[in-house]
Amino acid sequence: MTDTAVVVVRGLRKSYGSRAVVDGVDLDVHAGEIVGLVGANGAGKTTTVECVQGLRRPDAGTLRVLSLDPVAQPERVRALVGSQLQSSALPDRLRVGEAVRLFGGRDGNELLEQFGLAERRRSAFASLSGGERQRLFLVLALVNAPRLVILDELTQGLDPAARRNVWAAVDQLRADGTAVLLVTHELDEAERLCDRVVAMRAGRVLDCGAPRDLVGRHGGAVRICFTLPGDMMSRLGPGQLKALPGVEDVSYETSALTMKGSRAAIAHLGAALASAGWVPPDLSVQMPSLEDALVDLLERAGPAPGLHTAEPALPELTGALR
Amino acid sequence: MNTALGRLVRTELTLMTREPLTLTFVFIFPVVTMLIIGGAFGTKPDVAFDWVNPSHWYVASYLTVVIAATGLIMVPVHLASYRERGVLRRFAAAGFPRWSFAVAQLVTGLVAVAAASAVLLAVAAPTYGLPSMHHAAGVVVGFVLGALAFVSIGVLLGTVLPSARSAQAVGLVLFFPSFLLGAGGPPPYAMGSALRTVAGYLPLTRVTDAVRDAWLGVGTATGSLLVVGALAVAATALAVRRSAL
Repeated sequence: MTDTAVVVVRGLRKSYGSRAVVDGVDLDVHAGEIVGLVGANGAGKTTTVECVQGLRRPDAGTLRVLSLDPVAQPERVRALVGSQLQSSALPDRLRVGEAVRLFGGRDGNELLEQFGLAERRRSAFASLSGGERQRLFLVLALVNAPRLVILDELTQGLDPAARRNVWAAVDQLRADGTAVLLVTHELDEAERLCDRVVAMRAGRVLDCGAPRDLVGRHGGAVRICFTLPGDMMSRLGPGQLKALPGVEDVSYETSALTMKGSRAAIAHLGAALASAGWVPPDLSVQMPSLEDALVDLLERAGPAPGLHTAEPALPELTGALR
Repeated sequence: MNTALGRLVRTELTLMTREPLTLTFVFIFPVVTMLIIGGAFGTKPDVAFDWVNPSHWYVASYLTVVIAATGLIMVPVHLASYRERGVLRRFAAAGFPRWSFAVAQLVTGLVAVAAASAVLLAVAAPTYGLPSMHHAAGVVVGFVLGALAFVSIGVLLGTVLPSARSAQAVGLVLFFPSFLLGAGGPPPYAMGSALRTVAGYLPLTRVTDAVRDAWLGVGTATGSLLVVGALAVAATALAVRRSAL
């Protein structure tokens, strides 16, 4: 553990009945870092963050949040963590301004302005649109200037403009040195925002790393397409191209050439084209995204090795009320 | 009052005033039924009313209708809707102290009882006149313990019933027999023996006896007071435990 570690989780386990929902998860989040927890429904993401927040008691494993133990001191941990929870609401007749004062003890005007809710200060929660509710939850998560923010399905129900606005706010949190734990099944969001991504399936961590490293490991081939005129075929036919380092596959159809290969193949192809004297005007390179890299991995049918399939976690809670 | 607990209590009190079900059942229903039933038997002392003016007998009984409406309808419906919608999860995650929600519910329930009782007495005073209080301390103790017991029962019901709708259904089923047999309906004298036996087992009957007997001086109701006291202690302890965040 370094001194910037905000969240340290080792060997976290949690079962509901005989179902292992989280099965040996390790997780670190540092100050000024955005870590994404990605996976399909039932992967154990939400249960993991609920344990981090002290909302659930783990069966095994150690947890430290801002050097506190969320099992022994759940109230202190919760007071230091800002969170935007999945599937929870506010009282229908509670007004926006009242909610901010209730959760933050202050009027939070600058946050309401930032998220476009200043005009809605006197509106009841029930009258807010889905996007407005989501933005209000974000304001409530940030109103106490927490050192760790947990965002669960952050941009669900937001239109593209609001989504960009929220992403900018999360970027700003990182710049301010806040640690952010982002739970999402939207891989484009994880790729855009996260410094590191932890991919989970059936309660286990499959892989973790920077988005580009995960793409490198699981993303498959780069796809390059360009026009190759027939008179070039003698100097630069599919046979020669296939011999270039990093190239895996070449197909040619009525002067349209498609190549698949590693990232290194791009440079070798460029060099070969230039030395042959052909600069294709329509060359396009398609890089695999995080979604391309992880979607099969995360949503592969059947359990991870040695595991029972974990169904979506029900809101079973430790206290009688929750 | 800018502590988390203070903010929660203030918010819950504000929300209570915006809840139509509360306003109807806790503030309006007892007043309207008291005006109807209290006026139905005239003002001449009668054997059925322990030789007390029947209107006064009902004025002294109706405070507990307010207690029942709060404890059996307002509190459980409110709490069950919070659980159903994940509001409590949000309070817990936001770091509100563990006991703050239980305290806020008890305070809100007791304030509702006090405010609605004040409204009831304010309507009764010019209409029927307020009967003179024979044992003021007994009335206050019976009223406070009864309110505490029923608000706590309400919190317990709210932690057990799965949704606001089911809480409303169960609440009404519990409320009306209690109201008719134990507080605001016909006097026990007019009930058959079977009904009177059932009424004797209803917790609300005990609260009403404790308050009314001390108020009108028609008995000491020590037994009822002890039962209400025991109920208040047990229900409050359980309610606070069950509604910890």
